[in-house]
Amino acid sequence: MHSRPLDIQGITGAIAYLGLYIVLDWFSYVQPVLKLGITPWNPQAGLTLAFLVMYGPRWIPVAVLAALCSELLVRHSSVASLLVLGVALWIGLGYGILSVFLRRWHLSFPIRTLGAAGRFAGAALGVTLLVAGGYVVLFMVAGELPPEHAVESLPRLWIGDLTGILTLTPLLISAHEWRVGLQIVKRHRAEVLAQIAALSATLWILYGALDDQLRFFYPLFVPVIWIALRWGASGAMIAALGIQIGLIIAAQYESGGAPLIDLQFLMLTLSLTALLLGAVVTERADALRTAAVREAEQRVLLAMAPDGVLAVDSSGHVRMANSAALRLFGDAGDSWQGAPIADWLPGLILARPEGRATLEGRRKAGGAFPADIAWSWLDTAPSGGFLVTVRDATDRRRAEAKLRDRDRALSRAMRFAVAGELASALTHELNQPITALVSYVRAAQILAEPFSVEEERLSATLGKAAQEAIRASQVLRRLRDFYRGGTVKREDVHISALCQAMAHSFQDRLRRAGATLAIHIDSSVPSLTADATQLEIVLHNLVSNAIDALAIGEPSNRRIELHARAEQNLLEFRIDDSGPGIAPDVAQKLFEPFVTSKADGMGLGLAISRSLVRARGGELFFQPSEHLHGACFVIRLPIDYAMDEIT
Amino acid sequence: MTGPTVFVVDDDASIRDALSLLISLKGLQPCVYSSAEDFLAVYDAQWRGCLLTDLQMPHMSGLDLQTALRERGIQLPVVVLTAHGDVATTRAALKNGAVDFLEKPVDDDVLIDVLKNAIGIDAERHRANKQRIETMTRLGRLTPREHDVLDLLAEGLQHREIAERLGISPRTVEVYKARMMEKLQCRTLAEVVRIGSEARAHRPRAVE
Repeated sequence: MHSRPLDIQGITGAIAYLGLYIVLDWFSYVQPVLKLGITPWNPQAGLTLAFLVMYGPRWIPVAVLAALCSELLVRHSSVASLLVLGVALWIGLGYGILSVFLRRWHLSFPIRTLGAAGRFAGAALGVTLLVAGGYVVLFMVAGELPPEHAVESLPRLWIGDLTGILTLTPLLISAHEWRVGLQIVKRHRAEVLAQIAALSATLWILYGALDDQLRFFYPLFVPVIWIALRWGASGAMIAALGIQIGLIIAAQYESGGAPLIDLQFLMLTLSLTALLLGAVVTERADALRTAAVREAEQRVLLAMAPDGVLAVDSSGHVRMANSAALRLFGDAGDSWQGAPIADWLPGLILARPEGRATLEGRRKAGGAFPADIAWSWLDTAPSGGFLVTVRDATDRRRAEAKLRDRDRALSRAMRFAVAGELASALTHELNQPITALVSYVRAAQILAEPFSVEEERLSATLGKAAQEAIRASQVLRRLRDFYRGGTVKREDVHISALCQAMAHSFQDRLRRAGATLAIHIDSSVPSLTADATQLEIVLHNLVSNAIDALAIGEPSNRRIELHARAEQNLLEFRIDDSGPGIAPDVAQKLFEPFVTSKADGMGLGLAISRSLVRARGGELFFQPSEHLHGACFVIRLPIDYAMDEIT
Repeated sequence: MTGPTVFVVDDDASIRDALSLLISLKGLQPCVYSSAEDFLAVYDAQWRGCLLTDLQMPHMSGLDLQTALRERGIQLPVVVLTAHGDVATTRAALKNGAVDFLEKPVDDDVLIDVLKNAIGIDAERHRANKQRIETMTRLGRLTPREHDVLDLLAEGLQHREIAERLGISPRTVEVYKARMMEKLQCRTLAEVVRIGSEARAHRPRAVE
């Protein structure tokens, strides 16, 4: 605030203001009353206010200077210079205060609303009264104005200032919009010319009837109202300005006739009417334009909407349908207008004010499609009605079916893997005693050799016993091989897609457990040749275990992280959880079949997972999680692996 | 322990008992251990025979045992016996140096054939080892000149060429050759050439 740069724009404005002020003062200096220099109309008051509103109250001294100059140059005041200075200061201060109010209210010019017009007129009315009052009092105190003239002078002075402000200030402040006005004039040249002609004609009538000017003043309202209705506040103000200029010119040459104060009152009424009427018109026009824009937006929105949108009246007839709806139902033309909604959506019952349903939509050309419907009661429709949205659910159904198929395939593969692991575990456990059995029987056979001479059936019987034991183990092996062999597929597995699909299938469980699953797939991870279902079973098992582990642990901060990265020929998955971890004694037997910590578990998940990973030439192991402090399971798979060796 | 022995390592007591009974009845000498650690704790380099081990055992698995043997330079042939006949473990065991792989339950004839074969491999390895040491000892008795003659003979050079190469007369070469053959106890030139190339193959390494 200390050294403000030179405000070139402000100074230019101030100089222009000063010049214009003196010109206006000189021009409107007609029929001055007494020593006060009271004139019927003071456009310079409007100019001062416009200047202060535009440039700010710090230019008040310039306004004072203008008032001073006009007193000395135009009016050639004969009164004491101290009084002139006092008057100038008072005027500058008064308009300065008014400008502060107008600026603080952020009134926009041109005035666009009735509220703004009312505030503007009210404030101007008050301040001009104050200014005029002070003016008169100053002159009275100085003894330049006899008190009997004071009552007469005050309204003249006040109305002159007020009229000047009402007509000129809004126009001057919004002068930068003159281009818009010019365009309107160009576009409606004939109408504008007619309006100018009407104005001129009424003015001419006014001049012609000098004896009884007041009576012929009223026709002036007609063109002013016409213009106000057509062009809003700005047009009305210009018209009022034109009339006032005309009146000033008339007053210049003709004095007498009607008392000046009556003319002033009429001019004030005219200006106020023009201002308020114009503001109302502008406000309405703005509202209509906004509504039109909104409607256009909504129309485009409806047209662009991917879903069908219908407006249905309370008796169930279609009033409106957007293009998506017409496309859905295969309807064209206008035949749908007023058609019962039941033609399109049989069975739709709009009983509740809001609702959703999935129904069968009928196409006009025949055929049907599954439709997701949502509706909502609409109050604004003339007799009420519903807005109904329609979406073709074919794709959603198909996606759901696909998801269901995938889940089914996965659970089938999982059951198969469980059976396989069971068979494998059973084979292992039973082969141990069978091995002992076969060896014992073969040993017995050898031991029985000396007695074979007496009983030749002994050795043969023992041999058969051994054969039977071997057969039992072969049955087991076949069972195991049935579940193991021939089910491994070779396919290109996109790791990221696989993990995302798996995460998707856990959404509900994660939400119920209040846990999050974050997946980080390193960009180095290539696609892998493997059996996608088997790999998914493994990841599924590990994530499922992690969720179960989280349910035991702290409710806050339940996190699971799946990292995948590739290094040379090794693809590594890590599944970390923030659960309680696994005790070392449990960890040792973790991968053995039938070892479980769950009440309803079979203890096969990890055993299966490890078998599947090993069958792909990889390894699955456990370690404590480093950064989540729970368990961490690591899968390592060779990226290049001759899978033929497996089957 | 004398004679070839079948060292049986299995954590299942019944299997140990049954196998040792069968093996002994088939005329082989069994010796059982309930874990790989137990076997390693008492192993003696003098032991001949073969090792019959289960794969799945607590703590140290059969594969771990194989690795431990290899690390200690123990050349005892290993026969793996497993209840889990899957390809991955089979491959791992064979890659790890097992001479054979048997699936439980195993019938006596197959078992004994495999064990005898493994014992044979051990005996052959032992014999070859002994012979190599013998040969090395004999080679050690040669003078540098005799060694040179041996090397050049192994390269396939004639007496005249050797004489030229060593700067001596063919006659002297004959003398060296005769002395060398006597020290190496060789009767034919073919034998000399074989030992010569063997000596060459072993030279870069430390002689046992």
